[in-house]
Amino acid sequence: MAVEHNKNSERPVAEKGEHIIARHLIDDDAIKEEKNLVIDGVDVSGRWNTFIETRVDSEFDRSFFDEIQKTVVGSRINRCWQCGMCTASCTVTPLYRRFNPRAFIYMMQLGNLKLLKKYTDVAWRCVGCYKCSQRCPKQVNPAEMMEALALLIKKYFPEEIKSNHQLTIDEEVKKIYEGMILGHGRLDLANLHTSAMRKMGKTTELMSDKDERGAIFKMMKDGRALSVLRLGKPHKWHKSKDAIDNYLRHTGTLEQEK
Amino acid sequence: MGNLKENQAAYYPGCALLTIDRAYNNSSKLVSKKMGIELVDIPDYNCCGIGEMKSKGAVSLYLPLRNMVIAKSEFGSKDLVMACSVCYHEFTRSIERAKEDKKLLDEVNSILKEADEEEYVPEGGARHILEFLYNEKGPDEAKKNTVKPLKGLKVAPYYGCLYSRPSMYTFTDKKQGMDNSERPHFMHEFLESIGAEVVQYGNEVQCCGGRNVVQDEETSFALCSQTLSKAKKAGADVLAVICPKCAGALDVNQPKIIEKFGKDSELPVVYLTQLMALAFGFSEKEAQFSDMISNPLEVLKEKGRFI
Ligand code: SF4
Ligand code: SF4
Repeated sequence: MAVEHNKNSERPVAEKGEHIIARHLIDDDAIKEEKNLVIDGVDVSGRWNTFIETRVDSEFDRSFFDEIQKTVVGSRINRCWQCGMCTASCTVTPLYRRFNPRAFIYMMQLGNLKLLKKYTDVAWRCVGCYKCSQRCPKQVNPAEMMEALALLIKKYFPEEIKSNHQLTIDEEVKKIYEGMILGHGRLDLANLHTSAMRKMGKTTELMSDKDERGAIFKMMKDGRALSVLRLGKPHKWHKSKDAIDNYLRHTGTLEQEK
Repeated sequence: MGNLKENQAAYYPGCALLTIDRAYNNSSKLVSKKMGIELVDIPDYNCCGIGEMKSKGAVSLYLPLRNMVIAKSEFGSKDLVMACSVCYHEFTRSIERAKEDKKLLDEVNSILKEADEEEYVPEGGARHILEFLYNEKGPDEAKKNTVKPLKGLKVAPYYGCLYSRPSMYTFTDKKQGMDNSERPHFMHEFLESIGAEVVQYGNEVQCCGGRNVVQDEETSFALCSQTLSKAKKAGADVLAVICPKCAGALDVNQPKIIEKFGKDSELPVVYLTQLMALAFGFSEKEAQFSDMISNPLEVLKEKGRFI
């Protein structure tokens, strides 16, 4: 869904039906409806026999829950009592109604991968504002649960990441950050910005001063864009880098890297 | 290096402040010095992780904590002052997580050991420059140093997210002397103490797009246009920020936001410390207003007295 604004109101306007909180219950594939059904001679075709599919989970797998709980970001998943305060506080939900931290945590608690998969396209949109964590009555730290969710998506749905343009970009930008922060110990912001723009295919914007309105040009001119050359690397950072790599290769958790 | 003197404090500059956001770095130092505290950079710092390394387990704690170790071993300081709200978040988060989770602390220390660094002992804390100046010196001290009150300048204070949230890390509302988490007011008080007029506009603690400023411009632009236009509508001449990431979203990206949402979103953005420096008698050049993309110089000149 695109971000929409009503000129007369300060809040973005929801589309019809968007205020339903447990949306996944009425998704098409969660609804059971017989086209032609006659019971005791009475025709109950179509709307008359609409039911929500059974939600009994016969494949509940506890190991999934443990997998999340073992991560630093997901360690408090057991505490959530589904009050919905996080979603009510969320910065992103009014812009993208399908982004629902409470529901994501529910799906993670149940290990319902089938359901989670349907939300991979919005799940990455958390802006990390921590309103949810501030207001959560159980100190679940939902903001960081969204990081745990990202780890799950990376492990279980790599093909979704590949096929969704925005997810791919999010991944690519994260890799640029990672290369700089872990590789060099310091962040070259000007370089990060231009590399990310290139990844996003915004090369023309980089060139024209209309879109960037000279911000980059200005920083080149006054020397800020190049000041990273003076920044350098921390002393003996290679030792930190080796130790970090070593840790990440052996965590034995979702955080582990191949 | 030896221990710090009494009027000195260990300072973590961070990557943004040493490069693109030098105006915030320099004005923070000028203002602190004028108020009686010299901020001294810790040597050999490394990046805090800027919120992008959280899914990397103990590594997300290692990055900030290696700097805490340096502050302790090089300066004998348990505390570390910083001006970037994202750094502040990463530091407070790591310190609290390390305090509550012994296993995690051990993991961090084993990485430190392997990297040939000293051990981290959870003590002391990270301090945001706003909270630090407020508690160590306070608005009265700022008032005493004000030689050019910013009379008639209407300022919309913008706190953003991570300075006051979440209180499980920042201890807002929880510890004596800390700001309020939902309605912070330290910046209000400083602005009033230097003679500016504080504008209330309703988006003081909203988000600028935060973690996704780079990769999700659409969301960031929508959020920022709300903040900028609300502040403008409330009569603000400038929006004051305390975080380089907020500045990136609201200032550097402002031309693109205006392009999309119109002139309602056109509002000069400055750092709180730049305004304080100006009030303390430093020149417009020393406060480096010309570094800002949203051109605050014009309105500061227009208002006559300031520059
Ligand atoms: S606010 Fe906390 S307890 Fe309530 S649903 Fe969200 S994470 Fe769960
Ligand atoms: S941190 Fe993420 S999930 Fe939590 S309120 Fe902010 S945008 Fe929503």
